[in-house]
Amino acid sequence: MTELVVNNVQKWLGGLQILKGASFTASRGAIVALLGASGSGKTTLLRCIAGLEQPEFGYIRIGDKVALDSDKKIALAPEQRNIGLVFQSYALWPHRTVKENVGYGLKLRGVNAADAGVKVQTILDRMGLGHLADRYPSQLSGGQQQRVAICRALVYEPRVLLLDEPLSNLDAKLREEARYWIRKLILDLEICAILVTHDQTEALAAADHILLLKDGRIVQEGPPHDIYSNPNSFYAADFLGANNVARGNLTTLDGTRATIGGEGWSLDGTARELQGLAPAASAQAVIRVEQISVSDSPGPHRIEMQLDDSLYLGDRWEYRLRRGSFNVKAHGTRKLSPGAVWCEFPPESVWVFPASSQA
Amino acid sequence: MATNVDNSPAVTSGSWVQPAARPPYLRRRLDAAPFRIGVIGTLAIAVLGPVGLIVYQSFLDGPFFSPRSQLSLDAYRYILSDPSFYEALGTTVLFAFGMVAVAVPLGSILAFLLTRTDIKAKKLLEILVLMPMFISSIVLAFGYTVAIGPSGFVSIFFRETIGFVPWNLYSLGGLIAIAGLSHVPHVYLYVSSAMRNLPSDLEEAARSTGAGIWRVSRDVTLPMVLPALVFAASLNILLGFETFGIPLVLGDPNGIMVLTTYIYKLTTLFGVPTYQLMAVVAMVLVLITLPLVYFQRRILRHSRRYAALGGKGGRTTSLKLGRGGQVLALSLIGLWLFVAVVLPIGGITLRAFVDAWGQGVNLMDHLTLANFDNLMSVPSLFRGILNTVLLSVVGGAIAVLIYLLVGLAGHRNTGLSNTVLDYIVLLPRALPGLVIGLAFFWVFLFVPLLTPLRPTLVSLFVAYVVVGLSYGLRLLQGTLIQVGPELEEAARTTGATLGRTWRDIVIPIVRPGLVGAWALIMIIFLREYATGVYLMSSGTEVIGSLMVSLLQTGAMDTIAALAFISILLTAGGLTLALRLGAKVHD
Repeated sequence: MTELVVNNVQKWLGGLQILKGASFTASRGAIVALLGASGSGKTTLLRCIAGLEQPEFGYIRIGDKVALDSDKKIALAPEQRNIGLVFQSYALWPHRTVKENVGYGLKLRGVNAADAGVKVQTILDRMGLGHLADRYPSQLSGGQQQRVAICRALVYEPRVLLLDEPLSNLDAKLREEARYWIRKLILDLEICAILVTHDQTEALAAADHILLLKDGRIVQEGPPHDIYSNPNSFYAADFLGANNVARGNLTTLDGTRATIGGEGWSLDGTARELQGLAPAASAQAVIRVEQISVSDSPGPHRIEMQLDDSLYLGDRWEYRLRRGSFNVKAHGTRKLSPGAVWCEFPPESVWVFPASSQA
Repeated sequence: MATNVDNSPAVTSGSWVQPAARPPYLRRRLDAAPFRIGVIGTLAIAVLGPVGLIVYQSFLDGPFFSPRSQLSLDAYRYILSDPSFYEALGTTVLFAFGMVAVAVPLGSILAFLLTRTDIKAKKLLEILVLMPMFISSIVLAFGYTVAIGPSGFVSIFFRETIGFVPWNLYSLGGLIAIAGLSHVPHVYLYVSSAMRNLPSDLEEAARSTGAGIWRVSRDVTLPMVLPALVFAASLNILLGFETFGIPLVLGDPNGIMVLTTYIYKLTTLFGVPTYQLMAVVAMVLVLITLPLVYFQRRILRHSRRYAALGGKGGRTTSLKLGRGGQVLALSLIGLWLFVAVVLPIGGITLRAFVDAWGQGVNLMDHLTLANFDNLMSVPSLFRGILNTVLLSVVGGAIAVLIYLLVGLAGHRNTGLSNTVLDYIVLLPRALPGLVIGLAFFWVFLFVPLLTPLRPTLVSLFVAYVVVGLSYGLRLLQGTLIQVGPELEEAARTTGATLGRTWRDIVIPIVRPGLVGAWALIMIIFLREYATGVYLMSSGTEVIGSLMVSLLQTGAMDTIAALAFISILLTAGGLTLALRLGAKVHD
């Protein structure tokens, strides 16, 4: 069931357009991630949905309520939208106890004190915060504050839960745990959730659907697996994962089979964006680090490279390889001594884009 | 699972329509617009009404309420051809710049000693140096009269011991010295906060490249605090133009007049009130002070940029003064404190408890409480004390609530009404309390519905609220801005309207700040004297204005007793403010 419709939302800041027509939908029991670098407009888009920013143009529907319609001059205030928003800083009210923070939304909705008390205690217990109900936010740890913030946004069962970088203030270990339980909670409660993040791992792990934003536009969208393994632009390919980028010239192009080469090297690959791609024109290729394998003998799609050094990363080794102007990082399980080695680049993993690829 | 919808209006996703120009856009909604516009509009009327009346009155040839008055420039012609006007203007300019010459160097030295060195008793001194700022200048001026005036205690002591008095308090030089010394705190306040924000790594960086301490002070420290210095200087010029109490008490005996006392003298010049002439002088004053206020606002913005550049939390290492340095610095501060605080307050205290003094008189024989008897038995004096307390304690609390409403109306207000508010607040700063009082006197005298309020404290209260507006609003805005925007946004997204958000989130969080602001406004209202000079009538007496009118009759015993009470009240207010944790330093 579609809970959120966002259509062609455009926002200007002075003469600068910071949202250039974002459109997507989201439904119950699923997490949509807005992923992008800082300045891509992801937080602005989230704030437009919440009603904290007002776009100049577009249409937004939350549940069965039209929250924004520039044609009909409708723009609901945040409090009329029935949403829950979890802030990056958590924004817990310092003068209210945990219980009062969480119960505020119920109080505003006219729920009587007894029922509200039960609901607040239930959700706090569920999050393992039951014993902290009478504390003040300043007496809680960062992780506890974050869970209180989520309780506060969820307790009145909003139609859409908006999360603005909810994990960025947690330390790395806590973040991995939070990623998991937030996802589980949202799926269990069958809420429609929108997650803003700049952390690709977070988006890949927690979301059902990812919207990749760049300069106020959605440049690609799809399920995490699809976004990761089928990027349709150089930007999308390069933004996700750990990558090697090869810059050179396109030597042959046959359908989507393309060959890219430079000074002393040549790779067979797959063209992922045909526009602007022509033989002899400059091109660039993205190869995920994990797709390259290093061996000591020649074979199909292997080229000989110079191994400069092996770096120990704990769970694996990183190899620094070079051939002419072509520098490559690859991973392996053992230390290799410097010298000549053979690297295998599977053609389906060498993604060729035109050099001027923008979007 | 999220999918693209094709049946919704406008374009389908995946294709991005890049309009050639900005499309017809939704107007930005201003939350709580009726409230904001209502409050700011009311304030605009309260400020612009009286000011407008002054402007209008200045272009008439008689009182504005007289049906025979006509538009004319006669009043301007009269004033601009009156030699004593030019004399007063010249004296005012000399006075203002003289004050700067005394106060700015002293205040800067104090600021430097108290923020950048390891001087002893820093905590205590930080409060002591602000003292003169909290005491009404009419009280201070009177204190100097009884201490070092021609027949003051100290003067008599000198005459007895060395045969003559080596100073003349009732001269322009005396006036400037006293005003300058008592305005040192205003300089100290701004310069010290600039010095505090200056991270010492900037200085250390300079020292590590080989510059000596004096060179660093000149090349690094001075340029960084220069905006604050310029601001403090311009503030002092402004205060110099507006000061009334010191020139009235110390200048008048020798006929030294400044613009404010010139206005005051005009009242009685012709036997009948010459409103149009007073209005013209007020206009001249405002035309000088308004650009000053505007100039200050621009520097303040500049200096904020400087502070942001320096970065917060800059560690400051103190300069070691050493033994000799400590003694020198402490005696400098001590000497200043003696002249600026001990002399006037000591003088008043002594004067309030004796009935005679002079050469060869043993003061111990003349100790008496008789001076205070009047205060209890004369109804107007007793009412004056009561009214002063009422206006500062209760009026101060109501004023804080009003400033809070105005502050909220301007809080995160991006609309036009906020710009209007910004400019309205400038006006009262440019107007001396005497002129604001005069304007409100006219308003309450002749605006039909308001006339019944004139003999009540309401008239004084309204004028006080306008006099304290810019200071009070700055206090409140500073407090409101400390509430993080996301705390308010969190309430909105949880379902609270803006009004609810203010009531449930913003106001509870700023409550401690409100209490502090109340204490400070209370002190401001306690020390106010000029505003009530015209508004005062039977039933609305206040201590400061009573002193002004008693000066004409020369009832020194009573004035001394009133001044002493005023000092006690101020001390009480200050103690309360510090107890409540008010940020006296902001």
